[in-house]
Amino acid sequence: MRVVIAEDAALLREGLTRLLEDRGHTVCAAVTDGDLLLAAVAEHKPDVAVVDIRMPPTHTDEGLRAALQLRRDFPGTGVLMFSQYIETSYSAQLLEGGAAGVGYLLKDRVANVAEFAAALERVAGGGTALDPEVVSQLFRASRQRGGLATLTPRERQVLALMAEGRSNSAIAAELVVSGGAVEKHVASIFTKLGLPPDESDNRRVLAVLHYLGSPA
Amino acid sequence: MSDDIRRVTGTILRAPLTLRTVRELLYCGFGGLAGAIGFLITVAMLALGLTISVSVLGTVIGLLLLTLALRVSRRLGGLHRRLAWWLLRYRVEPPPKFQPGSGILNRLDRRLRDRAAWRAVSYSLIKLPVAFVQVYTITAAVIGLIDITYPIDWMLFWHNPTGPAHPIVAFNPFSFGGNFEIYGWPGTFLAVILGAASVLAATWLARAINAGDRRLVRALLGPRSMAERVSELERTRSLAVEDSAAALRRVERDLHDGAQMRLAALAMNLGMAREKLDADDEATVRELIDAAHRNAVDALADLRDLARGIHPPALDNGLPSALATLAASSAIPASVTADIEPRPAPAIETIAYFCAAELIANATKHSYANQITINILTERSGILRLEVTDDGIGGADATRGSGLTGLAQRVSTVDGHLEVSSPPGGPTMVTVKLPLKA
Repeated sequence: MRVVIAEDAALLREGLTRLLEDRGHTVCAAVTDGDLLLAAVAEHKPDVAVVDIRMPPTHTDEGLRAALQLRRDFPGTGVLMFSQYIETSYSAQLLEGGAAGVGYLLKDRVANVAEFAAALERVAGGGTALDPEVVSQLFRASRQRGGLATLTPRERQVLALMAEGRSNSAIAAELVVSGGAVEKHVASIFTKLGLPPDESDNRRVLAVLHYLGSPA
Repeated sequence: MSDDIRRVTGTILRAPLTLRTVRELLYCGFGGLAGAIGFLITVAMLALGLTISVSVLGTVIGLLLLTLALRVSRRLGGLHRRLAWWLLRYRVEPPPKFQPGSGILNRLDRRLRDRAAWRAVSYSLIKLPVAFVQVYTITAAVIGLIDITYPIDWMLFWHNPTGPAHPIVAFNPFSFGGNFEIYGWPGTFLAVILGAASVLAATWLARAINAGDRRLVRALLGPRSMAERVSELERTRSLAVEDSAAALRRVERDLHDGAQMRLAALAMNLGMAREKLDADDEATVRELIDAAHRNAVDALADLRDLARGIHPPALDNGLPSALATLAASSAIPASVTADIEPRPAPAIETIAYFCAAELIANATKHSYANQITINILTERSGILRLEVTDDGIGGADATRGSGLTGLAQRVSTVDGHLEVSSPPGGPTMVTVKLPLKA
């Protein structure tokens, strides 16, 4: 996997680079602001870009703006927004163009190296990786409270993990159940919510997010 | 009843011999003179300014002259206030300082709307009749005193067996009877009576007219009318709100770029170390844990600095010990003298502390000083006074958007003042005055 990193804090930039290279990925460039990110992506055409939201010069949302432009100009490159806080409006803007090849994770998630790497690989492969925080915000803001109320607690867990962009096997590992059990839960959820069953993970995320009321 | 009469009469008759009378009469003299001159200056400048600004070409010059008249009136007001304090021990706080806007037009506009200056103008105008009475009063007192000395003068200078060649004239300050002519020594006692009456009358006239003048000074040269006070409060309230919002933003930013970032890196180091444990790669694990440890220590230091920036713990033991701690960590040698009793409110202590911290930081950055002196004391009038002095190159300016402007704004949120004296070549002395309660 070929990666470009945009992060202004040297400590995290170097840490991420090392973490990814340790796992056999190639970090083509590690830059410090949005403009440099766009240039680096144009040059290296990486599989995925890890983008800090708050970067120079204004330290507000230049990472988000750079990410949105990447989505328009380089649809083949996945974008993982990587931040110390979750903003509903940011995730909504990011998901507006679809959930494929998009991620939004809290920086805390890097503590679990394997999961973080898996999420990044998912985004690089055109999948989705939403932070549990993003998903729980979507749940809270969802207009489909009635539908959600019909789910069992376990089914809600599975739905949340689906919304994060996880595959059935990942969900099974996370909940420590068999793959068959997950499939059963998924089928039940789709029936209860009236969603068309779909085998592909990507399309499934779209359906779930759409159901929850996200623009995707 | 007769006791009352005797007491009142005694008071009336003894009044001229009191120190207060001397002060009142001196005030009549200086205050009256200053009032008359102030009136002339004000009227001349206003008339000139208004006349010129009516003519099309002269508008600019006229307006400038008008603003000059307003500035001069403020100064004159200050003089009158000071005279009242020096001579009558009558204290009136100055009105809030003029707040210049940015840009020439804005500045001009604010000058012309400066209520305190316009009130000072009206004082200058109303003062004319008052000054007239005051000058008359001091004249009567002086003439009375001269008249009283006549018997002695006669013995010393005018003693002449055949009587003086010309009659001696005793001045009469009252409007009836005219001046007396005196032909012999016994006649001088008439002058004494006239003089004593003059002094007595002047004494009470002075008290009466000065009482009126004090009211005028308070009403027109005092701090503020209610409307002014309200607009001042609105201004300082918005400063206070902005200041606290900015402080919160700073805290968030410091957390984001400091402790939060370091803890994220720490989590990352530990996460990687855990993976390496499985791979049995001890050297790398050790290195990662070292990095994690470093990040933990740095995060602690960041959090400590941040916490101290929010509220320095040393302040809990009072301003003197907090300032001593501050001075001890100053890059330039700094000494503290403190004499604060009673203890100010916590909010005031905090503001004073951060003023001192900022002023020391300023001096360290800009002054090239060898020594900083911090002096804090409670004035008798209930004002906490902080002075930070350095022996550096001077040239600090509170009106140019520097840290000093921010400090002045913060201080003004509790009705405090900040004054800077920093001539080129130094020394720089910044005085911060704060009330004891916020």
